Amino acid sequence: MEGDHLWYEAAHVVGITNALNVAADGLAALPAVTALLPPVAEGRAGDPAGAIFARGDVPPVFRLLARDPFYAADVWAATRRAFGDNRLARRFKEALAFAVSLTSRSEWGTGFHLAEMKRLGVGDGGVMEVIGVTQMFSSYTKIADTLQLEPDMGDIAPVDDSPAPGGSPR
Amino acid sequence: MPTVRLRDASEYPEPARKLFELSKAWFNHDFKHPPAMSRVMAWDPEFGGPHGRAMKRAMAPGEWSRGEKEMVAAVVSGVNACAY
Repeated sequence: MEGDHLWYEAAHVVGITNALNVAADGLAALPAVTALLPPVAEGRAGDPAGAIFARGDVPPVFRLLARDPFYAADVWAATRRAFGDNRLARRFKEALAFAVSLTSRSEWGTGFHLAEMKRLGVGDGGVMEVIGVTQMFSSYTKIADTLQLEPDMGDIAPVDDSPAPGGSPR
Repeated sequence: MPTVRLRDASEYPEPARKLFELSKAWFNHDFKHPPAMSRVMAWDPEFGGPHGRAMKRAMAPGEWSRGEKEMVAAVVSGVNACAY
């Protein structure tokens, strides 16, 4: 997993996953919230969000975000970009999103990304591997935090001297 | 600053020092001193042993590569806001 491009992609998946989980668990799943902010019914979303629903596989949280169709359209565009096949495969990105959701105890995100992993062909063994890594590093991180350990392995990774996409070498 | 004094490798018994060699092999890196986490886990081999085996089992190549799993581990560490 060498090269910064892979890590930028991973960071974008982590960020947008957390953003969707926050709105899904904290807003869309709460009847007290949806009573005051009803999700937009399919077919009633204004442009440019209307095109999102034409796909049919849009996470329900977008129905709530579609109350502002311009905002929803941009979040959807960022989500599709982050999760699209690039140097990291979509299938692996769903595994990252599952790990993020499990770690942050997102009920919606954990279920959604587990279903996406299975849909994209990840077997039970592959799911258990992600659960194992997530659980083990949820242990190591808390041990490190409890003892306030200082990072001492940062210099074992190679430095990527390539420029930003489309940019010039330094 | 760590809340405990991290012992030098020489302060550990011989079996633990062998674990530090395994740590070098695992990371494929010749550390000047064993990583802090390795020294913490070597403190109580009855905890560190099975914990380390579970970690190695979880991190071994399977449906996902070791590199992919390191990325999952980094993401989990980031979500847990752990700088280590």
